[in-house]
Amino acid sequence: MAIADIAREGAAAGKPVPAGALARFAGYLWQNPSALVGLVIYLVFVLVALLAGLIAPYDPTEILFADDGQLAASLPPSAAHLLGTTNLGRDVFSQLVLGARPSLLVGITAALAVATIGSLVGLVAGYLGGFVDRTLMRLADLVLGLPFLPFVIVLVALAGASLQQIVLAVALLLWPNAARVIRSQVLTLSQRQFVEAARVTGASEWRIMFVHIAPNIVPLAFLYGSIAVGWAILTEASLSFLGFGKADAISWGTMLQDAYASQALDRQQFAWFVPPGICLVLVVLAGFLISRGYEELLFPKLREGR
Amino acid sequence: MTPLIQSFGLRKSFPLSRSLPQMLRGERPTLMAVDGIDLTIQRGDSVGLVGESGSGKTTVGRLLLRLTPLSGGQLTYAGEHIDRMGPARLRGFRRQAQLVFQNPFDAVNPRFTIRRIVAEPLINLGVPRREHGERVAESLRLVGLAEPQRYLDSLPHQLSGGELQRVVLARALVIGPEFLVADEPVSMLDVSVRAGILNLMRELKQRLALTSFTISHDLTLVRYVCGRTLVMYLGRIVEEGPTEELILRPAHPYTRALVAAVPRPHVEQPRERLPISGAIGSGSDPPSGCRLRARCPYAFARCAQEEPRLVPVAPGHLSACHLHSA
Amino acid sequence: MSTLLAVDNLSVAYRRDGRAIRAVDGVDLTLPAGVMLGLVGESGCGKSTLARALMGVLPGNARIAGGSIRLAGEDLLAMAPAARRARLWRDISFVPQTAMNALDPVYRLRDQMREVLTERGGLPRAAADRRAEELFGAVGLDPRRLEDFPHQFSGGMRQRATIAMALALSPKLIIADEPVTALDVIVQRQVLDTLRALGRDLGLSAIIVTHDISVVAYLCSLTAVMYAGRIVEYGPTAALTRAPAHPYTMGLMNASPDLDRAVETLVAIDGAPPDLSRPPRGCRFAPRCRFALPACRESEPAAVAVGDQHRSACLRAGEAPALRAAAGRARTEAAP
Repeated sequence: MAIADIAREGAAAGKPVPAGALARFAGYLWQNPSALVGLVIYLVFVLVALLAGLIAPYDPTEILFADDGQLAASLPPSAAHLLGTTNLGRDVFSQLVLGARPSLLVGITAALAVATIGSLVGLVAGYLGGFVDRTLMRLADLVLGLPFLPFVIVLVALAGASLQQIVLAVALLLWPNAARVIRSQVLTLSQRQFVEAARVTGASEWRIMFVHIAPNIVPLAFLYGSIAVGWAILTEASLSFLGFGKADAISWGTMLQDAYASQALDRQQFAWFVPPGICLVLVVLAGFLISRGYEELLFPKLREGR
Repeated sequence: MTPLIQSFGLRKSFPLSRSLPQMLRGERPTLMAVDGIDLTIQRGDSVGLVGESGSGKTTVGRLLLRLTPLSGGQLTYAGEHIDRMGPARLRGFRRQAQLVFQNPFDAVNPRFTIRRIVAEPLINLGVPRREHGERVAESLRLVGLAEPQRYLDSLPHQLSGGELQRVVLARALVIGPEFLVADEPVSMLDVSVRAGILNLMRELKQRLALTSFTISHDLTLVRYVCGRTLVMYLGRIVEEGPTEELILRPAHPYTRALVAAVPRPHVEQPRERLPISGAIGSGSDPPSGCRLRARCPYAFARCAQEEPRLVPVAPGHLSACHLHSA
Repeated sequence: MSTLLAVDNLSVAYRRDGRAIRAVDGVDLTLPAGVMLGLVGESGCGKSTLARALMGVLPGNARIAGGSIRLAGEDLLAMAPAARRARLWRDISFVPQTAMNALDPVYRLRDQMREVLTERGGLPRAAADRRAEELFGAVGLDPRRLEDFPHQFSGGMRQRATIAMALALSPKLIIADEPVTALDVIVQRQVLDTLRALGRDLGLSAIIVTHDISVVAYLCSLTAVMYAGRIVEYGPTAALTRAPAHPYTMGLMNASPDLDRAVETLVAIDGAPPDLSRPPRGCRFAPRCRFALPACRESEPAAVAVGDQHRSACLRAGEAPALRAAAGRARTEAAP
């Protein structure tokens, strides 16, 4: 039987159509409104953070004076000051808009750090096994045992309060979760025949780890990264609120701290402390919605309950 | 003429987890997956290895391709010891010897395109980049996927089992090997799809002058593509010979049971009770003497005392059973 | 011989990605009591869906789109779900694909058997235990092994244990989906022999769903060949395998190796099954059929009788002998 006949048989087979990944993603979003909402919220905040310079009507640290020379302090919301002013005469709205930057910066950087560290550790531990695996996992166990906020506070107190330190602290504490789960995934993947196939076709062990297995764990890394965003933002806000943040930085956390210290609650200056609180909640919620929606994308069985 | 593959007393053991009492006694239980195999494959031969799961046949395939280290015995490829090959020589070996896997969906990276999958050996074994495109397309055409461009950018899950198995074959052949090991190449495919792949393998063998080693539990498959076959049970060869001879005149009780057990596509077929009872034992604690004796209706005293050795029962046909010398 | 199961024009539709797919489309089947029927076809032909529909265990996104299922005269689909559920395991039971992995790994076999026998069978515990031992014996397993956990059993033994569970309440009919596919050949033979013995000793009827016609030839006296959601040929296994009357069955026979005959070239079937969300016009096998005529793509061929209780849904069924001869040759350029 000639190859030509076999070829004819192959050609008669149905033509596989590579589905557009973007189209599929769009279709998925349509079916999953909560993930869509999360994505929209994120996009809005990212845009605000990027365009903060243009949107904010005033410099957030500038102390403002009214036309009559008086300090524009504790003014209620008006056309000139959408959310009023602080007790020191600073525009709340400008602070809110510019405060998005540090929060999002911390969130995204920390997420990247957690995803990267978690992936590397999980990959190396899961694939190499043995002593390396045991050591890394003991380390992970150790870190998991540390209480989160107190540790971060100590770290920041010792190393100084800056955004970098906060990102570092969050990354140092959140990588074990990602690493453990990724390690399990790598263990399963290592048993798959395509790993053996890579070996028999001449791939080195490093190549197998970073070229063959790694792409298969990217979704999980992304998932844990997106979970870390919420944590990081809250941590920065908490630290700032507790007074451990940088003194003159403007972030939602510092706004809350400021408001609290100035007894804004007693004075019912809601426009000052409610908006940053809401923003925090929204961003963290968005992160959660996206990660949950993404989880369902990764593990379709979760969807079947519907 | 130097055989392409030769092994003497090939052994492979796996350590088993120890219980506390065993640890205290200093015992180290092992599973002897492969326990003394002598094998000769000449250039151009197509040899089959038949056995049930647990026989060790898959491990033999892995040993031949140096995917797992030997625990004992000797194994040579074109006269060279496989386990003593250095990195450079090993690369050369990988260019010559390739493997076709059982489950096509498991044997390819689900995130790579077909183009990338088939190109993998070329990338790893130093073929110049500019040649990749043509060689990948050529290989896909060779395995019957006549319009390669339709498949190159597809992902594995978009192809059917039969198509994907052809891709696996294409990947194995793209580097131009002379020796191909096929581990259950069609067991995951429907019967109607198998014929296509089997005919392809036969055709390719001839066209490319391949030496092949096919591992399967399916006698009909082995009969179709292999001139000579070995039957394996719990790590040892119990019978070997020309495939047709083995199927028409099986000498060993185990082979006879295997032949009788295969269902035929017509109603008038043998339905007598199989001579072999029970299930395959465990390799960690084989019985003394002949490993089959607990399941064999013909077992007699000598079977418990002494392991039978392979003896000729016809020209080129050997079997390891005490009945032959009784 | 009385009819145990009568399926009339049954259709099952799935909803996937917003499209309706008729996995089973107008299937007619009759199973006499005490007979084993083999349901053969490639993956995706709808045989598993049909089996599940008969059993009433379709997945959430599938529903019966028409037709009737009569078990010993009673219309199963017309019953209230509660009444239908009562029938499950009592009159019909099911051995699903990869049944050996369906056993709960944390309970001993004895406990799993007890659960079926007491919950569904209403037997008191002692009687349930006795019955469990009886059942294990019937499938060739040592009753002492009831104390073991599933992982202590080999694949074949687990499969037999699942069959024992399916027999618990003495059903009239067992439906087994690919019961031997994942097993080694000797173990496969043991399980098939178990089923054969049950058929002989208990008068058990069964529907064996498989892609391997050799398994059907070994075990079943009646065969139904399924393709793209329809039954294309149906009849006594002996006649169907010796003289198939549908090109698809001929294709299956020519693709199946025979250890008793000299090695001949196996002939593959060109192409792949159709996309059931858009079934082709006319005969569904026509795109792959080397004997297709223009008329074949006009309308679905009705089943015609080609022998005693033997029917084929092919326009050219009457020319079967000539077609068989041509099908057996490796390749013909044009239809005869």
